[in-house]
Amino acid sequence: MGKPILEVRNLKTKYVTRFHEDVYAVDGVSFTIEEGKSLGIAGESGCGKSTLALSMMGYYFPPLHYISGEIIIDGKNISGMDPDTVRKTILGTEIAYIPQAAMNALNPTQKIIKFVIDVIRAHDPKADKKEIRARAEARFAELGLPRDVLDKHAVELSGGMKQRTVIAVSTILSPKVLIADEPSSALDVTSQKMVIKMMRELMEKGYIKSMLFITHELPLLYNVTDDIMVMYAGQIVEKGTAHEMVFDPVHPYSHGLMGSILVPEEGTRGTKLTAIPGTPPNLKKPPHGCRFAERCKYAKPECRYSNIPERPFEDGRMYRCLMGVDELKEEYSHE
Amino acid sequence: MKGYRKYFGKKLLWFVITLVVAVILNFVLPRLMPADPVSAITGKMAQGMTDASAVQEIYKRYEAEFGTNKPIVEQFFIFVGNLFKGDLGTSFSQYPRKVSDIISSAIGWTICLQLPAIIVGWLLGNLLGALAAYIRKGFDKVLMPVSLFLSNVPAFGMAVILLVLFGVTWKIAPIAGGYAYDMIPNFSWPFIKSVISHYQLPFFSIVLISIGGQAVGMRSMSIYELNADYVKYARFLGIKDRKIVGYVFRNAMLPQVTGLALSIGTMIGGALVAEIIFSYPGLGSTMYAAVTAADYPLISATTLIITIMVLLVTFLLDIIYGFIDPRVKAAQFDV
Amino acid sequence: MKNTIRQVFHSSKFVTGFVILVIILLTMFIYPLINPGNPLEMIGVGTFAKPGTYVSLYDASRTGKETLRLSDADEKRLNRLLSDADRVSMVEWFSAMGIDISGLDISDTDALLDLWKANYTPDSKPAGMTMAKRNYYKRLDKAIKEIGASDTLIITEKHAETGELEEIGSITKTDYVNVGQVANVKSLPLGTDNFGRDVLKELVSATGTSIVIGLIAGTVATLIGLALGLLSGYVGGLVDDLIMFVTNIFTVIPGFVLLILISYSIGQDQRGAAVVAIVIGFTSWTWTARSVRSQVISLRNRDHVNLSKLSGHSLIRIVLTDILPYIASYVVMAFILQVSSGILAEAQLSLLGLGPKTTTTPTLGLMMNWAMLYSAHTNGSWWAYFPVILTITCISFSLNLMNTGLDQVFNPTLRD
Repeated sequence: MGKPILEVRNLKTKYVTRFHEDVYAVDGVSFTIEEGKSLGIAGESGCGKSTLALSMMGYYFPPLHYISGEIIIDGKNISGMDPDTVRKTILGTEIAYIPQAAMNALNPTQKIIKFVIDVIRAHDPKADKKEIRARAEARFAELGLPRDVLDKHAVELSGGMKQRTVIAVSTILSPKVLIADEPSSALDVTSQKMVIKMMRELMEKGYIKSMLFITHELPLLYNVTDDIMVMYAGQIVEKGTAHEMVFDPVHPYSHGLMGSILVPEEGTRGTKLTAIPGTPPNLKKPPHGCRFAERCKYAKPECRYSNIPERPFEDGRMYRCLMGVDELKEEYSHE
Repeated sequence: MKGYRKYFGKKLLWFVITLVVAVILNFVLPRLMPADPVSAITGKMAQGMTDASAVQEIYKRYEAEFGTNKPIVEQFFIFVGNLFKGDLGTSFSQYPRKVSDIISSAIGWTICLQLPAIIVGWLLGNLLGALAAYIRKGFDKVLMPVSLFLSNVPAFGMAVILLVLFGVTWKIAPIAGGYAYDMIPNFSWPFIKSVISHYQLPFFSIVLISIGGQAVGMRSMSIYELNADYVKYARFLGIKDRKIVGYVFRNAMLPQVTGLALSIGTMIGGALVAEIIFSYPGLGSTMYAAVTAADYPLISATTLIITIMVLLVTFLLDIIYGFIDPRVKAAQFDV
Repeated sequence: MKNTIRQVFHSSKFVTGFVILVIILLTMFIYPLINPGNPLEMIGVGTFAKPGTYVSLYDASRTGKETLRLSDADEKRLNRLLSDADRVSMVEWFSAMGIDISGLDISDTDALLDLWKANYTPDSKPAGMTMAKRNYYKRLDKAIKEIGASDTLIITEKHAETGELEEIGSITKTDYVNVGQVANVKSLPLGTDNFGRDVLKELVSATGTSIVIGLIAGTVATLIGLALGLLSGYVGGLVDDLIMFVTNIFTVIPGFVLLILISYSIGQDQRGAAVVAIVIGFTSWTWTARSVRSQVISLRNRDHVNLSKLSGHSLIRIVLTDILPYIASYVVMAFILQVSSGILAEAQLSLLGLGPKTTTTPTLGLMMNWAMLYSAHTNGSWWAYFPVILTITCISFSLNLMNTGLDQVFNPTLRD
């Protein structure tokens, strides 16, 4: 066991909509990332994975609201801190974020270097401009980005270059945890590869200590992260290593999700492609009992009202279902 | 810089083309109409005359003055040639004053009144709109309907209301003219004081009119920008809200420059009518006097000068905009 | 469709604007039923009669009387008799005579009169006072005394044959008539204008005409803009370039200037309200053309349009069934704005003296123009221009509110 860098305990957050209806997008999520490890979060769109990324920053602004739970970064509990302290001492330095839409993540009318200066000065108001520039140039060179990017406006950069710039700027303060929300989804294959390579480099060179990678593209996760969690309707339904999750999923939802993709590996060629019927539940009024029961082939009457706990099994794995592991595997083998 | 030169060249070409079209329209439109301007004018001049040969004489004189006895293409070239010499013909109503004299004595008043008023209104409107977008809640709820209502008061209505309240009822400011009627323009202190006191009401009526519309536009632009992805990203890197609001204002304000360029043509109409209400000695009043006296050469020249002024301002604003907004520069690289 | 309409009516902005507009429109239709007749009829001989209810003096003196003893009647008479200027003059006389006026409130009629009666003597000649001024004080003194003294007015009539005056009745201070029984009572809530016309009646009729002008101008502008925008956006290529070239030119050349040139060239005789409206429409289509074009371009390659193309549907059918319904909301919004700017354009033209022919129907712009020509704004006749400004503002405000409401429904980024 390595040293835990990020621990999330029973985190609950909600969106407050215009008509004061609450949407419980993250509902009791717990997990740990150890130093040097990367964790992937998978799920359909709308399952709460992007909200989870935002919620972990400990910095909330409407419509997102914190309800309860703890976020501990390298031993420091940030969930009770006042927002300005979080902004100054945590964001960017302890935990950093790469947004979903990197295309629009940079202010179009600002030069990159100006933005870097703003980022560094937000944490160290007295930082010298020349030093910042030197530091940024060094880091950009280290990550294989052309130096002249710093003196350009975001609008002058190509899509892939923008995404890499965003990654470089996000990690300029060497944060301990990097949260990447679909960093490569909108890119072409070559740019995607560059981005993944860059994230690996960040880990290898020690600029970040751990990484959380959120995507709906499962094959990508299998190639990038050590562990994978599957999220459904605001909750984690299963957790395991990347290999286990792809080749031996236990929860009916993960099973369905893995079945609905093509894994470019030997031995999966013959597997049937299946889609999961139905749509995820409305998170304004989450159903009692198992949230997946509505769409689950194996659901029993008790699934709809019993409280379903997280059930650990094997070595460090977890799933959330009333049925036993063997029972489920038995069912899958009949397909 | 290359991109900018291209942009500049394009805008300059566009300016020249619109100018040519404007001159052609100014020449052609009155001549396209069923009623021959010369006979219309002769009709007015010859009112009460019974001697047919005298009427014929007047007709001949104006025909020669206008050159309408020549073919239309030749007329056009004479018109353009005279235009280049600054010769806009002779006024009917203030015979034998040259039209160019009348215009040049009026144009300064118009520029000194309208340009500062429109700029001040634009700045104040943008400031209020941005504040409304940022503060929202009560401020927005009160300010927006008021701005919307104000922006719908016609320019002449605002002028009349200010004139009645401040000029007639409270007698704070003079109600007509550009300076006290018993003064002769010179550079003495009392004269300048008189000019300033006559300036207030027309100035504020134009300012008030432009505030409303600009504020409404700026507010929606700012709300749009506040929801942009770069705002969220900058927040998660720990940048202070105040700094981010700075980004947003800048980005929302820049397109407002183009907005101003596009709306100046509409605004000028209202502002000219406001001049008439205050009998301000500018182009608006000149035009009014020309219309009332059926002074055809003067009307034609005033409309032409106003068009040229609007085209020039639009052109200048476009050029400035290209300088200050890097998005334009980037768009040029794509072309 | 039904759902969209419901959504539109949930927008508070749209509803507010809609209600204001409906109130204006209802007034436009209902008021002429209550008060029919020619709005341009000149009922007053003088100019700018104040708003109020006018009672025929002739009929009132021949209406059955009731006696009422009101304790404050004399006081009210005095108050009305002594104008502010008179009061100031009285104070001037006191101070010219060196009389102590400390603590005197000139709005206190009783105290002023007491002081006057105690001190005024027609023979006294304050230093530096002109003869005319002294005569003025004598007249004032006489009028004040009359209020206290006489209490009966005699009505006489000249005998048709002898030419002698015969007493036919008398009026005492305690005589009252019931307004309801007077044969001729005319209520003029907004007074009369410079020509002696009933402003309210004129205003209602002018509002109607102006709205029609706005509607015609809006329709013309929207039709031109729609046609050019559709053509330019859907056909593309050279047609697009050409149309956009023209559109861009007319965007920068101020429409107001074109409007003036055309209106002037048409000449006063041909310039009816409809002609003015059409000319306004012809100078304000560019915005519609631009926005329709950009919408059509974004629609042009959608699947349903491609499907229609592949199915061999005609251009007209594709435009009508696959494109128009999608841009309808934008077109409606543009139309609303055109109507409002059309009304404003007419008003501005009229103020320049280039408005519609003046003899048949009033428009809001013409009313404004008349009020300005006859200096209503400098002589305090607010009723001649203020209601006009307010009406234009309210129409334009309501249309813009409706437009903003629609915008919020159809462009969700602006919502909240």
